[in-house]
Amino acid sequence: MIIQDINYAFRLLSKKPAFTVLTTLVMAVGIGVSVYMFSFFNTILYKDLPFEDGASLVVINASVNGTHDNEKLSLHDFNEIKNNVNGLSEFSSYYNTDVIVSSKDGARRFPAIISEPNMFALTRVKPLLGRSYNQAESNAGAEKVVVIGYDIWQNQFAGNDNVIDKLMRLNGENYRVIGVMPEDYFFPNIAQLWLPNTENVAQISRKDANSVHGLAHIVDGNSIADIDGQLNLVMQRIKQQYPETNNGLSAYAVSIPGSGASDGQPVIYTMHIVAILILILASINVGNLLLSRAVERSKETAIRVALGAPRSRLISQMLWESIIICSLGGIIGLLVMAWGLEVTETIVATFFTDPPAFWWKFGLDSYTITLFFIIVFSTIIVTGLLPAWKNSGGDFNAVLRDGTRGALSKKSGRVNKMLVISEIFISMTVLIAAAVMVFASYTQSRADIGAETKNILNASVVLPNSKYPSEQEQVQFVKTLTSLIENSTGIGEVIIASALPGNFSYETSFAIDGFEYTEQSALSYPVMNYVAVMPGSLDKLGVELKQGRYFNSGDDGLDKKSVIVTESFAIKYFNETSAIGKRVRTVSSDNNIDWLTIVGVVETTLHGERETQNFPSVYRPFTQAPRNKLTIAMKMTASQALATKTLRKTMASIDAELPSFKIETYQQSVERITAPITFISNLTALFALAAVVLAASGIYGVMSNTINQRTHEIGIKRALGADEQLITKEFLLAGLKLLLWGGIPGLLAGGFMGFGMSQMFGTDHSVLIIIATLMTILVGSVVLLATYLPTQRALIVEPSQALHYQ
Amino acid sequence: MTNTLIKLDNIKKIFFTDEVETHALSNISLTINKGEYVSISGPSGCGKSTLLSLLGLLDTSTSGQYILSTHDVSSISKKQRAHIRNKEIGFIFQSFNLISDLDVEENVELPLTYRHDLTKVQRKEMVKNALEKVNMAHRAKHFPSQLSGGQQQRVAVARAIAGDPSIILADEPTGNLDSENAQAVMALLASLHAEGATICMVTHDPRSAERADRNIDILDGQIVSDKSTSKNSVEAA
Repeated sequence: MIIQDINYAFRLLSKKPAFTVLTTLVMAVGIGVSVYMFSFFNTILYKDLPFEDGASLVVINASVNGTHDNEKLSLHDFNEIKNNVNGLSEFSSYYNTDVIVSSKDGARRFPAIISEPNMFALTRVKPLLGRSYNQAESNAGAEKVVVIGYDIWQNQFAGNDNVIDKLMRLNGENYRVIGVMPEDYFFPNIAQLWLPNTENVAQISRKDANSVHGLAHIVDGNSIADIDGQLNLVMQRIKQQYPETNNGLSAYAVSIPGSGASDGQPVIYTMHIVAILILILASINVGNLLLSRAVERSKETAIRVALGAPRSRLISQMLWESIIICSLGGIIGLLVMAWGLEVTETIVATFFTDPPAFWWKFGLDSYTITLFFIIVFSTIIVTGLLPAWKNSGGDFNAVLRDGTRGALSKKSGRVNKMLVISEIFISMTVLIAAAVMVFASYTQSRADIGAETKNILNASVVLPNSKYPSEQEQVQFVKTLTSLIENSTGIGEVIIASALPGNFSYETSFAIDGFEYTEQSALSYPVMNYVAVMPGSLDKLGVELKQGRYFNSGDDGLDKKSVIVTESFAIKYFNETSAIGKRVRTVSSDNNIDWLTIVGVVETTLHGERETQNFPSVYRPFTQAPRNKLTIAMKMTASQALATKTLRKTMASIDAELPSFKIETYQQSVERITAPITFISNLTALFALAAVVLAASGIYGVMSNTINQRTHEIGIKRALGADEQLITKEFLLAGLKLLLWGGIPGLLAGGFMGFGMSQMFGTDHSVLIIIATLMTILVGSVVLLATYLPTQRALIVEPSQALHYQ
Repeated sequence: MTNTLIKLDNIKKIFFTDEVETHALSNISLTINKGEYVSISGPSGCGKSTLLSLLGLLDTSTSGQYILSTHDVSSISKKQRAHIRNKEIGFIFQSFNLISDLDVEENVELPLTYRHDLTKVQRKEMVKNALEKVNMAHRAKHFPSQLSGGQQQRVAVARAIAGDPSIILADEPTGNLDSENAQAVMALLASLHAEGATICMVTHDPRSAERADRNIDILDGQIVSDKSTSKNSVEAA
């Protein structure tokens, strides 16, 4: 019996190959897009870490003024949390750092972790060789030890089994290798070296301690919300005790993969909703096409019923068509999606100069396969439901009595209206949300960072404190480097700064002379990008001078105190008057009150992510306030390869143990900042395009089908004296009604999601209104066109023919 | 003042399908006077329904002239044809052709809504009168699916007469009805005729044809006989 039904379904599908191909492809798009989206975000944000008890492992971060941006906690605050929060166990802490590893092959920078000794125990992973560090090795003055990653073991020690107890040069000092971690172990993110944290909360003051990320396991029966409640209470108590450092601070727990979302939840929710809506759209389209076929076959079905076919058999026949279409479409979608995930892994790798997080393995994992089967099953039910309902209920006698058009067509009309309304709702929602994201990404990627990026090669250098402990030594290094590189062939001007416009910079609170700050907390002061630049750098970068002067040799000297601010700063704080001669100072916990005089105002520059607050920038001569992290930007007069070679050679001539890294063009480094949002927005745009095509074809299909079914009614109306204009007007009005029924909720839903994203991206609300208007016009045009064209087609036939239309 | 309502002169209708020419009507010449009750009969496929479609301006002839109420309507625009259908012609179809989404009252009112010279009150009054004439006023709020075939056809008659047309064109009005309902509908048409309505009815039921006072027989697209059932008999040209 089932075989017969399957054969029958195959026969029907093979009879209309175009229909079969179309419906299969529509399902392939719907299933492929939704499974891809869910799989993508699951891999990045929701997957349990691949360790025993990985699901209960959380990171504890600081939240600043309610924002979740993966900020570190003070070591002392974390200690309070450790002692006072229930529901968490096995506390540990860490912070990220860069370590320079020197060997006979040269020096290289590696991402490393400074952690408490029990951090490895939290992951239930033991070293492949040797051991992890112990408490004694975490005491100040203890022998310097390191646990190395598998790749370093292979590359630096050629996989030598006797690596334990060998010495390594890290940041210019000797460290004893005590353990090697297994392959693919990069916990908590991308670490390749692990060093003990020698800071002891009992022996170090609040202001001198490094900040840390906390780690712990959630004890069974506790939720993250419970933990967050307790964290908040503990942090509130600390705030009362230390208002000057802790005002505005709290803490939150989040899974390590989940921490990647930060405050980007609106985008993630939107993407998930878009994926679900596209799946629904595809299901509606296929369901509608199958419904049309069911309508075409009403008479055949009625004959079957008359011959005694049981209802279950009729439903089964209709469902087999859905099963075949959805399964075939699903398999195609799955194959394309698997390829898409592979490509995604390659693309995502370009977002970072370091490797991506170790759990970011895109592919057909068990979650994806399970989800695939759930989605295929759901689509079979959804797409098969309408035709099965149509074919298993209804007045078959009426169908057999030719000419009596009664309840069936009325019900079908309602279903068709619901389908169109759903498609309008979905397409409006998806389009508005996607358009806001695409617009935000477009404006961000094209934002004027305030500097010329062409033909410049960048490189980063970290000066280890062990070798460059004093500010004089740091300044001297930079001066020597600049002089040597500028006199090399293939390189023109050299710019050295702690961060270049367009890239992330150090942010800190500032006080402005003449302004009153009531709260005794660093967080109550305005935050600025605080950038150190070698004199001449801003001019060389093409950062235009608006007022005053650039830095010059007169600003050199650790005792000098001059700054240049951006125009955004000057407008914000000295709108009516000139900023030149005004004074600012950094706000730090050590009560530093060195006032810095503004000597120049330059055009507004952007640093870091474009979507959040664009803090004004304050530039300080590197020769006054050097940093140990430098960016070297070289204007290339020859090839990039020559500039790279020159840089490495020069660096080696100054300090053989000092590597330069992140060598790439300035343009690449700027694009890297917006690459993730550009990728997500391109993805959304692609999905929105799929939604538009699906919705437009779906709306046209349903409307065309509806109007086609009403050809006879059109014939009657024309026979009774309605002219073509009247009929067209009537149908357009009906289309407009559907547009309003689906469009208004769609506008609200899309507007809501768009608003969430515009808040996040800082998109102006007027843009949201323009986008909503444009999308309404677009969807409205589609609906009206989808009504107009089939109506005109129906009007081509003479009324006499229309009256006999079946 | 002329008494002629319809005058057809050498009307031809040819259907072109897949390079095949089908001559549905050949050189039809015909006159229908005001107040006449004409039946058109003939075997299936002879062209009687095509003729009714041309008379009702539901289709256009391939050639020939059609005068309706002294106006040449052979080559008028679609809009004008729609206007004349609405004002001058009332249709009754074999399959009733009521619109399932509209109730009885709305179905009857439908052709009146296409006129711009009627107020809503006037339309309601005309609908009420028409429904009373066919004895269906008590079913005004019912939907077609809730009515029997005979009742549906009575509603269709009400719709045809509501606008006070010059002529009622009926295409096999009893074709979908049992004999009892068929008799009732024929009686209704007879009473309308008695009140002065001009009726042209296509039928292949001899008993229905007998009720008309003029019978036209068509065969292979040509009028083969045109005779009065009471006195005059006119041989086909």
